[in-house]
Amino acid sequence: MKFATMLSDLWESLRRKPITQQYPFERTKTPEHLRGLLLYDPTNCTGCGLCVKDCPANAIENIVLDKKAKRFVVRYHVDRCTFCAQCVASCRQECMKLANDMWELAQLGKDDFEILYGAEADVQAVMASLANGGSNGTGEPK
Amino acid sequence: MNPLIALLIFPGGLFLLLLGLAYEWVDRKLVARLQNRIGPRWFQPFADVLKLLAKEEVVPDGANPFLFLGLPMVALAGALTAALYVPLAGLPPSYSFPGDLIVTVYLLSLMTLCIGLGGANTIDRFSLIGATRTLTQLFSYEAPFLLALLGPAIVVGSWQIGQIAAYADTRLLALTQPVGFVVALIGLMGKLEMPPFDAPEAETEIVAGALTEYSGRGYAMFRLGKGVELIVGLALVAAFYLGGVSDPLSFFGKTLLLLVVVAALQSLFARLRIEQTVGLWWRYGTLLALAQLLFTIVTEVMV
Amino acid sequence: MPTTEPREKFIVPIGPQHPALKEPGHFEFTVDGEIVTGATARLGYVHRGIEKGTEDRSWVQNLYLLERICGICSHSHALAYALGVEKLAGVEAPPRAQAIRVLVAELERIHSHLLWLGVAAHEAGFDTLFMYSWRDRETVMDLLENLTGNRVNYSANVLGGVKFDVSVEQADAIRRGLDFLEERTQHYLTVVTTDSMFLRRTRGIATMSKQQAEALGVIGPTARASDVPRDVRVESPYAAYTTFPVEAVLATAGDLEARFLVRVKELFESYRVIREILDRMPAGDLTARMPRRVKEGETVSRIEAPRGELFYFIKSGGGDRPERVKARTPSMFNFASVLTLAVGHQLADIPMIMAGIDPCFSCNDRLVVVNRIGHEADVWTWEKLRQYGIEYYRR
Repeated sequence: MKFATMLSDLWESLRRKPITQQYPFERTKTPEHLRGLLLYDPTNCTGCGLCVKDCPANAIENIVLDKKAKRFVVRYHVDRCTFCAQCVASCRQECMKLANDMWELAQLGKDDFEILYGAEADVQAVMASLANGGSNGTGEPK
Repeated sequence: MNPLIALLIFPGGLFLLLLGLAYEWVDRKLVARLQNRIGPRWFQPFADVLKLLAKEEVVPDGANPFLFLGLPMVALAGALTAALYVPLAGLPPSYSFPGDLIVTVYLLSLMTLCIGLGGANTIDRFSLIGATRTLTQLFSYEAPFLLALLGPAIVVGSWQIGQIAAYADTRLLALTQPVGFVVALIGLMGKLEMPPFDAPEAETEIVAGALTEYSGRGYAMFRLGKGVELIVGLALVAAFYLGGVSDPLSFFGKTLLLLVVVAALQSLFARLRIEQTVGLWWRYGTLLALAQLLFTIVTEVMV
Repeated sequence: MPTTEPREKFIVPIGPQHPALKEPGHFEFTVDGEIVTGATARLGYVHRGIEKGTEDRSWVQNLYLLERICGICSHSHALAYALGVEKLAGVEAPPRAQAIRVLVAELERIHSHLLWLGVAAHEAGFDTLFMYSWRDRETVMDLLENLTGNRVNYSANVLGGVKFDVSVEQADAIRRGLDFLEERTQHYLTVVTTDSMFLRRTRGIATMSKQQAEALGVIGPTARASDVPRDVRVESPYAAYTTFPVEAVLATAGDLEARFLVRVKELFESYRVIREILDRMPAGDLTARMPRRVKEGETVSRIEAPRGELFYFIKSGGGDRPERVKARTPSMFNFASVLTLAVGHQLADIPMIMAGIDPCFSCNDRLVVVNRIGHEADVWTWEKLRQYGIEYYRR
């Protein structure tokens, strides 16, 4: 039966700095495999749509501009994404990647939560058509 | 000194309230550092009190509103009055009369009594259990604490705090009455409901104990009262056992040293159940204090 | 007033909002002074309709839905589901994937037990132990973040294998972290077994004999603390536990101290298994090919979550969505023991007794509709469930 068994811990704490990390003034380096924001590379995409089907949160929409010429634009809803990386596993062409340094994703407006990925001209075309009130793609929230 | 100034501004009243907040900050910061955390910034207790004063005070159903609103004021008044008879900030006590030791200790208990009554005033289960525990704890540590403070009184042959403090000024009574010193210090922790004796305010069992229903101004007054009680208690123990507090440096130095010890004791132990607290005090506390008292009387008679 | 009247019942409600509970649940303890004379419970505050939701999502999407039943045992749920679906489809995940699954499961067990240690210490008023054990828990969370990419909800599984590999640097980082944790756990073992003030709160409280434990049907570390040797990893090994066996940790006293002892000793067992896995990791692929449509059939999958046995029943109709998924979580059985054991103890012991079974309310909430004899079986749609939930809380 001992008294005050944690005395050694208390003594040691007085000699070290507090363990609290004072974010946002101090930040640790993020690990290499951190699952952050989704990044899509259209170079090898075949438009198979597995990422759209497998996403548990319906956060990815595939907008087809020209199937034969392989012009796709991916509309990514950041606010629905759970960062599970299933799309990364499903894609056979390795078009999907989760960034490991972009994880502070808070925004002030809802519009900033939709990101369009694709070749520059394609993205402009889609943005123009969306501004005109057209809506493509799948993905009603359940 | 003009009595009104002594009562309201310095060294009682406003100065004492602010000093109470400062000591509360020291206590919280020390406990945090011992737990390897950062702890609050220096103005945190002050900010807490300001925030509480800005909140609405809700009088719950089934409580007597007169008692509900009046008890915090009586508690704070009792604590501030007790401070009049204790040497603070290096000055001798503002008022002094024979027998004021007993009066001071009971004025401090007035605050605990008010907390107990405040809890019993409501129909809330948690407050009722908390009030019962507060009053039970009051009955258990009161005797050892008073007996421990009587040790120096017997050596001096007086019941007046001013005279005892003046006598103890050059003599380190903690060395000749070590048991009494330890009982007094731990009794102080029981009085202030600090862990491990915080069963009346056990957060994980009865939310906030007797003070569950209090909010706003009433709660702020209770917290201020606790801060004042902390200082008065520390001043008493330091004046009696650690060789007097006759100048500001020794007052602040000795009370802060005691506060460091109290903070360390707070972090070391798990909370005791209420019946374990009572058992501890009546079995060990009272017996030790009585033994010390007996020893002191015998040596006084022989010398 | 006749003096033979029974005293008025004094009921102390704990919950749904209470500092003792980390999640909402309602308990009513009838108290006489400080002694508890009766206890009832009412759960259901965290019901989210997940089991119904699995019927609308494909097999792959369900993996992530079920992972979010609980935050602390999320990998266990995903693992049980993945193993069950693979069994139905007749696919066997490669050995390297199984080993990595077990690695993450054991890391999760370490995380869960350290979290529990802190919470139980906080319930006893021992805030210092709470702060220190949670500080050390950060080490294992950093290891998991390094390995899987997230501190909670690891998403390590895919149907057929795992998503990522363990590199040599990660293995070294894990070993270093484990060395630190092992030293700290040794210190906590000393504290929990020898600190006299803490033992006054745990020794001899809520003692459950072996017969009582078997009659009440408790599982997990709570049962093992009463000398009931129930551990799924030992009885029916799954995933890589056949290659890396574990020993069940038992204690005989059956009181709160024994429950502390079992969980802390299980930490040592986990450290040993993880080191073994890292040393003898089988080489090979990470995933096996998994069909989109799973064959028709029913299956049962059992694994050992940190709180006890987790049981999944999965029924497939041959399509790309499951027909029924039922998750039976361990905390559900341990609650009955709280209600029985609380009687006769002090009110101050109640939070400790509840913390002793390591309750996870999120895992627990189920909707049970009992149809009286003569009524037809009912199938509820999502809309009907939602409407019922809205009216239930209006009462």
